[in-house]
Amino acid sequence: MSVGINRYKADLRELCFVLFEQFGFSEYAGKGCYEGWDEATAKAILEETYRIAREVLGPLNSVGDREGCKVVDGRVKTPKGFADAWKQLFEAGVKQIAVRKEFGGQGGPYSLYALIEELTSGANTAFNMYPGLAWGAAEVIAEFGTEAQKKLFCQRMFTGQWGGTMCLTEPNAGSDVGSAVTKAVKQADGRYKLSGTKIFISGGDHDLAENIVHLVLARAEGAPAGTKGLSLFIVPRVRVDASGKLGELNDVQVASLEHKMGINGSATCVMNFGESGECYGELVGAAENQGLPQMFRMMNGARIAVGIQGLAVTSSAYLNALEYAKDRKQGAPFKQWKDPSVPRVAILEHPDVRRMLLELKAHVEGIRALVVKLAVHRDHYHVLAGRDDDQAAYHQGQVDLLTPLVKAYASEEAWRLCGQAIQIFGGAGFLKDWPVEQYARDSKIFSIYEGTTHIQSMDLVGRKLGQSGGANFTAFIGDINGFVEANKSHPVLGKDVERLSGAAEAFMQVAMGLMGWAQGGKVELVPLNGNRVLTMMSQLSVAWLLLDAGVKAEAALSKLPAGHADRAFYEGKRYSAQWFARNVLPNVEHLAKLAMIEDASPVEISDAAFAS
Amino acid sequence: MPLKILVTAKRVEDSESKIKVDAAGTGIVKEGLKYKINPFDEIGVEEALRLVAKHGGEVVVVSVGTKDVHEQLRHALAMGANKAVWVHHDGPIDQLGIAGCLQKVVEKEKPDLCILGKQAIDDDQGQVGQYLAEWLGWAQATFASKEESLESEAEKAKTPAIQLAADGKSITVIREVDGGLLTVSSPLPAVATTELRLNQPRYASLPGIMKAKSKPIEELTPAGLGVDVGVKLTVTKLAPPPARKAGIKVPDVATLVDKLKNEAKAL
Ligand SMILES: Cc1cc2nc3c(=O)[nH]c(=O)nc-3n(C[C@H](O)[C@H](O)[C@H](O)COP(=O)(O)OP(=O)(O)OC[C@H]3O[C@@H](n4cnc5c(N)ncnc54)[C@H](O)[C@@H]3O)c2cc1C
Repeated sequence: MSVGINRYKADLRELCFVLFEQFGFSEYAGKGCYEGWDEATAKAILEETYRIAREVLGPLNSVGDREGCKVVDGRVKTPKGFADAWKQLFEAGVKQIAVRKEFGGQGGPYSLYALIEELTSGANTAFNMYPGLAWGAAEVIAEFGTEAQKKLFCQRMFTGQWGGTMCLTEPNAGSDVGSAVTKAVKQADGRYKLSGTKIFISGGDHDLAENIVHLVLARAEGAPAGTKGLSLFIVPRVRVDASGKLGELNDVQVASLEHKMGINGSATCVMNFGESGECYGELVGAAENQGLPQMFRMMNGARIAVGIQGLAVTSSAYLNALEYAKDRKQGAPFKQWKDPSVPRVAILEHPDVRRMLLELKAHVEGIRALVVKLAVHRDHYHVLAGRDDDQAAYHQGQVDLLTPLVKAYASEEAWRLCGQAIQIFGGAGFLKDWPVEQYARDSKIFSIYEGTTHIQSMDLVGRKLGQSGGANFTAFIGDINGFVEANKSHPVLGKDVERLSGAAEAFMQVAMGLMGWAQGGKVELVPLNGNRVLTMMSQLSVAWLLLDAGVKAEAALSKLPAGHADRAFYEGKRYSAQWFARNVLPNVEHLAKLAMIEDASPVEISDAAFAS
Repeated sequence: MPLKILVTAKRVEDSESKIKVDAAGTGIVKEGLKYKINPFDEIGVEEALRLVAKHGGEVVVVSVGTKDVHEQLRHALAMGANKAVWVHHDGPIDQLGIAGCLQKVVEKEKPDLCILGKQAIDDDQGQVGQYLAEWLGWAQATFASKEESLESEAEKAKTPAIQLAADGKSITVIREVDGGLLTVSSPLPAVATTELRLNQPRYASLPGIMKAKSKPIEELTPAGLGVDVGVKLTVTKLAPPPARKAGIKVPDVATLVDKLKNEAKAL
């Protein structure tokens, strides 16, 4: 079956730590809507998913990269093995774990699904885009569709019978989706006729499922300009009747495929809708001009999924680099570096290689904790909604607040840290013989699609910090302060915990400063500092969560006998926390100082002064 | 003709774990090891599920050992087995003891067919299937394999390799023997043991893992079954394979040829 070699690696011990030990899976699993779930089941599911990731998806990762996709007779042909993998993935029910039972899923916790996504995305990022987009599109219909639409589309899309896409981007509407000009004209029978071109559409066509349901952002005839006039339409590639029977083709064409730097196994398509005037679609839900909130819903899920992509490849890059560093012999031990007679050592023994590895380890673990924290808030929200609305609102607020951090920080760090993994390999890392060069190329897109990093930072400073009258943000800072109070005297990590206070304060100052700038005639400083603020809040959060993990690991460690196999794991958590608190967290205060300089050079410099 | 099939699920060290011989030199260091179902047994479970999918019936999975074997039983249940039997035994046990327990479970469950791994990947003894058939007085078809490759269409369609006669009274099994395949036929009830090429086991589906939680695991004990599990076979010494000697570098082809001729005697 396997045509390539699997290179994907995950550390299940660490995944289980984060989900079970750090974030208390058993506190919400087994309750309310998650009745029947427990740790043993979740663990068995993670193990089996990891096996599928290694045996089915992993071997196809480099195959997809080298082979890419082709258009043959107007249809996209995916790389060899993808169709089989799609079938196996859905047969094993991997994608259906967190899908509601009414749509053919298991109704499981989202936090467990986030880690399943990590395993499938990490094993084969490009492949996982196809089922991922189908999932995202189905979610929108599940939330906003009419009863008939839910019945017709959701189960089929969630279980892999039909695929799905999200068609937002147009040649003149990228970051600015409000400029979309794809047109929808209402017909006498209530359907809409669509016409327009969409670009960069992931999985715009493929040969993995019998039908593809496109969600197309378009403007209904007579709708207002800008984002207010957008609507979302369901446009199946093959028309279907109410019973789901496939009918005629629906005038949806792939015009061409893009040739890319990475995720080559994922078809990125230019799509023409209604070239022959015969493309029919229906509104999602019943009313026009609801496209924006619907799209946000879709994008929130997709943004988290992109953050998980970043986490996933970085984690495998780390574990591959670690293995290589243990094996590759080069140079003398650093204390005897001048002595040519001492035996050469594994590069793992060189302090700088260890620094790079610990930097990777700490970031991977901290970002994983951030992802799982967000997902756990979402699970708590679902358990509490309708029972304790105040608590439910708190949890939803944290999900909203953390989404831009997960999307932007995980994706920016993925590109940087995959580069660092290559550095650990040295020349070998630059070769196609090892997986890290592909990880680096695949990861660059993460900070671009689903909203660039700057778009995320504007979401954070322009919407999320002030959302609910600032209550979500206040609660977030309150949680950090509570943690510092409780742990600042910790015998091992106390000093590092204290460092959080200074960073949190510096961050608050800049957050307040933003408001001053916005109201005090220095509005350009807001976008100029947007990405910086996002970095500060991400580093603060990751430091906090690593220290939280460290404190929990120390508690577990104190109960283990000497020589126990798990001791090294828990000690590793201490070092991740300690390294991050001492080498990255102080950067938050430094960044605050930079912000306070109020430098506006980038907007002051004239266009001509850049270069003529 | 529905079939009742009994399969086994031995708990063995995962071959991805690093195995070290212990200080006494008679066992291995268990600390930090990962465990899984014996791959040969997993193939047996798969074959049984395929047979039952084709002919109807049920699959009962058995494991002998500590409570930890529940993991392997649950795995087989998640793959699709209908129920599990756990013979609870905490101390050491040898192949005679295991076969003795299985014999009593078979007499209780009355399956038409038992499918076991031809060996377990931990100690590679390869004895249990044969003892079991002998003590039950049943025919045995060991080393079950098939002609089609694991990439074939028949394999993709999950077609069972063991053939059941139209009257449901006998089976045909293709055995792997030195340098070829041997087809045998045996009346039921019978015992079969599996080769690696028999099939590619399915993944436990994730919904299957959920469902496995509510499938029954019956607990029995050797004493309750009236089996003496006193150990007769003891491991006296366990040694790792000799470490590979470091290679040498030769200055030129002539030296290489010389060494191959005179030292390695390969030419
Ligand atoms: C491989 C791939 C797959 C994709 N998949 C899909 C898909 O499935 N569906 C889909 O609809 N789209 C998809 N896209 C499109 C993707 O979402 C867009 O590329 C992305 O939103 C950025 O838009 P753009 O490329 O037009 O860049 P632009 O919007 O032109 O941005 C260029 C630069 O300008 C900055 N910028 C733009 N506007 C502002 C502003 N107002 N303020 C400050 N800075 C700004 C950006 O941050 C960026 O740095 C995909 C793209 C790629 C490359």
